Amino acid sequence: MTDTKTLVQNFDFHGEALDSIFATYKELREKCPVGHSDKYGGFWFLTKSDDIFKVEQDPETYSVRPTMLVPPVADFPMIPIDTDPPELTEYRRILLPLFTPQSLAKMEGPVRDVARDLAKKFVESDSTDATAMFARALPTIFFSRLAGFPEKDWPKFDAWVDDILYERTKDPKRAKAAEKAVVDYFENLIAAYKGRTTQEANTGTIIDYLLEAKVNGKPLTKDELLSYCYLMFLGGLDTTAWAIRASLWYLAQDLKAQRYLREHPEAVPTAAEEFLRTMSPVQAMGRTCKVDTTIRGQKIKAGERVVLLFGAGNRDPEVYDNPEEIQIDRQDNKHLAFGAGHHRCLGSNLGRRELVIALEEFLKIVPEFTLGDLSEKWHGVGRLTLNIKK
Amino acid sequence: MKVALDAKRCQGHARCAAFAPETFVFDDEGFSRVREGFENVKPELQEKVRRACTNCPEGAITISG
Ligand code: HEM
Ligand code: SF4
Repeated sequence: MTDTKTLVQNFDFHGEALDSIFATYKELREKCPVGHSDKYGGFWFLTKSDDIFKVEQDPETYSVRPTMLVPPVADFPMIPIDTDPPELTEYRRILLPLFTPQSLAKMEGPVRDVARDLAKKFVESDSTDATAMFARALPTIFFSRLAGFPEKDWPKFDAWVDDILYERTKDPKRAKAAEKAVVDYFENLIAAYKGRTTQEANTGTIIDYLLEAKVNGKPLTKDELLSYCYLMFLGGLDTTAWAIRASLWYLAQDLKAQRYLREHPEAVPTAAEEFLRTMSPVQAMGRTCKVDTTIRGQKIKAGERVVLLFGAGNRDPEVYDNPEEIQIDRQDNKHLAFGAGHHRCLGSNLGRRELVIALEEFLKIVPEFTLGDLSEKWHGVGRLTLNIKK
Repeated sequence: MKVALDAKRCQGHARCAAFAPETFVFDDEGFSRVREGFENVKPELQEKVRRACTNCPEGAITISG
């Protein structure tokens, strides 16, 4: 057993640390709810739901500059995630209309068609990897269409996302190379969009919205466009894939829950919230203190980094009964999987619907499934081997 | 029972609409408000509005009476 001091100082929330992170969170919450890790240049971490909400809702004290990501995933500020109000509000306003409940209602059919198709192909194929065949494929196809990323480029996406998000703590050089590849890719793509004839123009994709947008009366600059596209690319694909994969990973091991949801598809939305709470695809995001402050008695100085551990807050016993238990019918669930406050995930309502529809269709089409390889973990977007009862 | 929504706190999570679609409506940017005439919650909608309130991540919905 490592002692608490070592646990706090070495605390990490990437890679292998995720294997046993819920036990780590529990210990930290009980013994050191606000602590300081030496990783990634040093940061304070918050494990209590209440503390995290307060920071989220207080942009006056906590800035997202220079970046929300710990460690960083780009050497430029990403829009909108690395900007503070009032610019933040202007940038968000561009895409908000795409993600209202009214707009999302129109996407129901197309998402369901993609999900159904993929689930059928998965059942018919010899492959047992539900990540590649389903969990990753769904957002790649649906979100890329919505965003306006051309189909011929999709095969390149997974490797770029893996290198930038999952290799960065192990192999920063590789992450850097992928970062450059993605920036170059969007530079070319934006140029191609701008070069379109009027007949081809504006098909209502995210890129179209960004190209048409005006902020304070002016169109977005080339750097702003690139930065926004880069963030949408990183935010819209693997998060949803992780949520779908983690939910299937769980259901493959809890056959009672799997049977229940199969027989009661109306219970899927509530279950999906519980999967988001307990296996959040984004375990944490960072802020920087603008002024000296105190959280739960701990003094934090201006300029110091604060990491909001959404995954820990989501299992806070002060907020949830039996927080470590996955209860697919949990009623009160204001989890932090999508953050909160001014930076609340712009795509939260899309991500939710993709997850719910994915699970509904998968359960409708794929017969009872179990985990084929018990060494596969709950986290990430790696392989998920499912054995289907034939 | 009365329901009120603090527009300054609302961040558009749309959880309220998931639980009580009759009571909450959205503007074109996806922010919520209480539908006109629904401030006094009818008995048959009360449970739904209560759930909207407990599931709103921003604490933007308040119930009284
Ligand atoms: C299940 C899927 C998803 C999860 C769990 C998730 C999670 C998150 C989290 C935790 C944040 C940071 C919020 C904060 O700091 O308070 C965020 C921000 C963001 N997400 Fe998502 N996300 C998901 C899907 C998506 C999708 C599909 C899109 C595409 C539109 C998207 C776009 C964004 C954007 C643009 C931001 C930055 C918002 C801002 O800074 O104002 N996300 N997401
Ligand atoms: S759940 Fe709360 S924050 Fe979200 S839209 Fe409704 S009132 Fe606004």
